[in-house]
Amino acid sequence: MGPAIEDLRDRIIDILPRLRRFARSLARDPHDADDLVQITVERALTHADQLHPDSRLASWLFGILRNAWIDEGRSRHRREPLHAPEELAETVGDPTAGSQAELLCVQDALARLPEEQRLAVSLVLIEGLSYKEAAHVMNVPIGTLTSRLARGREALQEMLGDTSEAPR
Amino acid sequence: MRFSEEVLMAYADNELDEKTRAAVEAAMATDPQIARHVAHHQRMRARLRSAFEPVIGQPVPARLLEAARGAAATARDPGRSNVIPLPRRGARGGSLPRWAALAASLAIGVLGGWLAFRIVGSGPITMRNGHMQARGLLAAALTTQLASRQSAAQPVQIGVSFRSKSGEYCRTFSMRAPAIAGLACHAAQGWRLQVLTGTPEEGAATGGYRQAASPVAAPVVAAVNAEISGEPLDARAEAAARREGWTP
Repeated sequence: MGPAIEDLRDRIIDILPRLRRFARSLARDPHDADDLVQITVERALTHADQLHPDSRLASWLFGILRNAWIDEGRSRHRREPLHAPEELAETVGDPTAGSQAELLCVQDALARLPEEQRLAVSLVLIEGLSYKEAAHVMNVPIGTLTSRLARGREALQEMLGDTSEAPR
Repeated sequence: MRFSEEVLMAYADNELDEKTRAAVEAAMATDPQIARHVAHHQRMRARLRSAFEPVIGQPVPARLLEAARGAAATARDPGRSNVIPLPRRGARGGSLPRWAALAASLAIGVLGGWLAFRIVGSGPITMRNGHMQARGLLAAALTTQLASRQSAAQPVQIGVSFRSKSGEYCRTFSMRAPAIAGLACHAAQGWRLQVLTGTPEEGAATGGYRQAASPVAAPVVAAVNAEISGEPLDARAEAAARREGWTP
């Protein structure tokens, strides 16, 4: 048990940057997002025995994070501002300002999607999960996942427009 | 032939079976409207991914590393600075001489202006307060990747990790695209580059991967020799340093 849990801790640390990215696509506020990651890590370590040997650790953690996010969903709607002027102000003179503005812009659009579409978009398009893995994380059939993904995509296309300047 | 929206989307997401994919590609070749449609999906995917990419490179907050380490290990006892013992002379993992020998067989160009122009600002490196700083994938790898457990397919390869004479943790790295190698030390704001050099892009040209034990560039070896205090970290000390967030 000892070495196994140590190994699990190390593997969780490997995945922390991805968990943070997933959380940021759900919660716009960076502190709220890191709170979600912290809850996820704590729950995962408490319930380490529930990790099925065959399932991928990342998918399992994404599932826990998704549940944590849905759990605190009610309070989220009250708190979430659609703009974060103080965040933008911080970026003045910062060479990464353009990319931060882009992040806020995309986060704004994602925040307007219904929860389930947002999850589908985030897991497949941002995290790069396969449809099968994403459906597993969301605990829905693949057909449900793809229709949510299609609707989410369509809504984003409306909001963000077609990005003709594709990143090279 | 007409395809549903979901099929075109699945094509962009690389989710189609061989046969359907071939059919979509055939249709794309003859019908520019289908090709445009698929391109929209691909661009949206690329845009979302690149918008969130900077998050991957941000330093992971200490509280999350502590949560992953578990509450017991989190207690900030006074002996904390002793948690990471430097390996004793002769301990396993002192791979520096082997690296240095390999370096002699590799022609190295010190980072030229053209390369700097290409990478700094837009790629894995940014300028901050007059210093070069790792970001994106490179910063993520420096923070989370263990040399003892990395695979040759990972875009960043970590070489040796060690404590510098000023007490910071430093790590050597190499990347295939862009083809660079260097030494970065962990400071309060992230990973500061001490040395950055270009490396021949032979792996990139053929699409092949380099050997896991990438030869290390000569300027990097020289910098390691100048900075290192004691021996390189062995696998256990490397994992322990990562758990501590590279904070001595």
